Amino acid sequence: MAGLSLKSVKKRFGETEVIRGVDLDVTDGEFVVFVGPSGCGKSTLLRMIAGLESTSEGRIEIGGRDVTGEDPARRGIAMVFQTYALYPHMTVAANMGFPLEMAKRPKAEIERKVAEAAKILHLEPYLKRKPRELSGGQRQRVAIGRAIVRQPGVFLFDEPLSNLDAELRVQMRIEIARLHQQLGTTMIYVTHDQVEAMTLASRIVVLRAGRIEQVGAPLDLYENPDNSFVAGFIGSPRMNFIPATVDAVEGGKAVVSAPEAGLSGLAVATRGELPKPGAKVSLGLRPEHFVPAEGAAAALAGLVTLMERLGGVSYAHAQLGNGESLTVESRDARSFAAGDEARFGIDPARAFLFDEDGRRL
Amino acid sequence: MRRSRRQAAALYGSLAFIALIIGLPFWWVATGSIKLPREIIQRQPTMVPHSFTLQHFEKLLQASDFPVYLVNSLAVALFSTAFTVLLALPAAYAFFRMEFPGRAALYRVILLAYAFPGVVVLIPLYGLFARVGLIDNRAALVIVNVALALPFSIWMMRSFLATVPREIEEAAVVDGAPPLTILVRILMPLIAPGIASVAIFAFISSWTEYLFASVLIVSDARRTIPVGFAGIIGQYQIDWGLLLAGATAAIIPVVVLFALVGRWFVAGLTEGAVK
Repeated sequence: MAGLSLKSVKKRFGETEVIRGVDLDVTDGEFVVFVGPSGCGKSTLLRMIAGLESTSEGRIEIGGRDVTGEDPARRGIAMVFQTYALYPHMTVAANMGFPLEMAKRPKAEIERKVAEAAKILHLEPYLKRKPRELSGGQRQRVAIGRAIVRQPGVFLFDEPLSNLDAELRVQMRIEIARLHQQLGTTMIYVTHDQVEAMTLASRIVVLRAGRIEQVGAPLDLYENPDNSFVAGFIGSPRMNFIPATVDAVEGGKAVVSAPEAGLSGLAVATRGELPKPGAKVSLGLRPEHFVPAEGAAAALAGLVTLMERLGGVSYAHAQLGNGESLTVESRDARSFAAGDEARFGIDPARAFLFDEDGRRL
Repeated sequence: MRRSRRQAAALYGSLAFIALIIGLPFWWVATGSIKLPREIIQRQPTMVPHSFTLQHFEKLLQASDFPVYLVNSLAVALFSTAFTVLLALPAAYAFFRMEFPGRAALYRVILLAYAFPGVVVLIPLYGLFARVGLIDNRAALVIVNVALALPFSIWMMRSFLATVPREIEEAAVVDGAPPLTILVRILMPLIAPGIASVAIFAFISSWTEYLFASVLIVSDARRTIPVGFAGIIGQYQIDWGLLLAGATAAIIPVVVLFALVGRWFVAGLTEGAVK
């Protein structure tokens, strides 16, 4: 078991810098998830930790040891690939035993550890099969098994569930969470799926364009995003952003309005810095935080263009007067109908303000 | 996709035609080898033999040097094949995966070996082999055959290596396997069809090589089949029966090789590895 620390880590491919100075400390036993849109560098960063990509600048420490220039096999890590990357000509047992065989462990020990891992992952009936005789979920479990037998200090997962169908993905997600509880090993997990990030992580690292945007516990990021990127990335459906103007600043709150969207006099508390009256801001409202318009402090007005009724919840998609589109979650499936002119009540306590650069106010 | 009747007829018709063109000479040679001499030289050729005799094969095995040529050819071809495969594999892997300066240039340059016809390099090569005392030595043929087969074999092998998903190698690297182990334990089993293709290419190149074998080998006891057999065609007369029997017998090792190696040509070796 081991912690991990990245110190101003950079990666360049020729002239282009894909990782632009990342600092991160992961304590022993944490489950850290790297999320971000495709091309943000999350997989590259993971591959640098694994040693599959060289590090152009900075230091990588695993368990307090500088491994920046170390071979992948000597870093005390194990990796699970998106595509499983099983050895197709070997049996499940041989696949899982391969790293131990490479480490020249005695045969009895290999057999014992493979059996243990197979037990944890419910793979015992399949040990003699070849990967092609397994289902996708089973293959991914073999890949995880191959990682477990090494007893690494850090597990690295590179989008391990994205090749599975939706149902299996949910199941494997639960298994990985269970595995983390059972083993208590540090895990670094890369995904572009924010649901995976929210459900698995003890801490989420949101990356964009090779930089860390924010690090925090899932609920911290959800409730207290540092910028509009994180706010938009965490939460599903994504947060609505409505352009608004600051009319006044009163008692530590900014009073904003968006006349074309029918909004006026909404007083939103800021985290510290107060915008100047007249400043352009972006009002962030999560679809699930709308309240009934009657009795609400303020409301947006718009035309409902589409209703998605999922049973438990419904999503109303509306077009506002200023041309922005809005998504509103509703527990009552019949509260809105397509074609309605509707008003959507806002709870000021759950509204966010961002400045023109996307920084949280 | 379903084919219409007409398309199917056209397809099978063309296939049959191609098979005929390729197969006819073989049929001609093989059936000719069991005809009586007078039927072979008959003015009206017969497609289906009217006579049957094994006298040409008896003569081939008992009275001619064919068995000696066969052993020579087999030895040269098998060694050439083995060395070609053994050298092409690591070379292709290096070109495919390892980073070194001039890799791309060198990869193209090796094909220059085919820019010159064999005759051009024949004299200098003869000079070289004479200097190191390899004239009239079968090893010289192996060296030449390997040198000629290697560049193309490396290209062929590299394209087979490229079909193996990169993650499999990366997984092996993380698992602690050194490059040679990755090549032998992981990649070789996965590119078995590629190895088989290269082996067949190298074997047949060597088996049919005439030019160098005719010049670098002097004594009759060291000749390979193509050269040795050319000797049967005398100045004034040709023993057609013997020649046809020899040609038939010379095909057999190639057929056996295909039968042995053919089972490696199975699709989907990497199935189950990724996705």
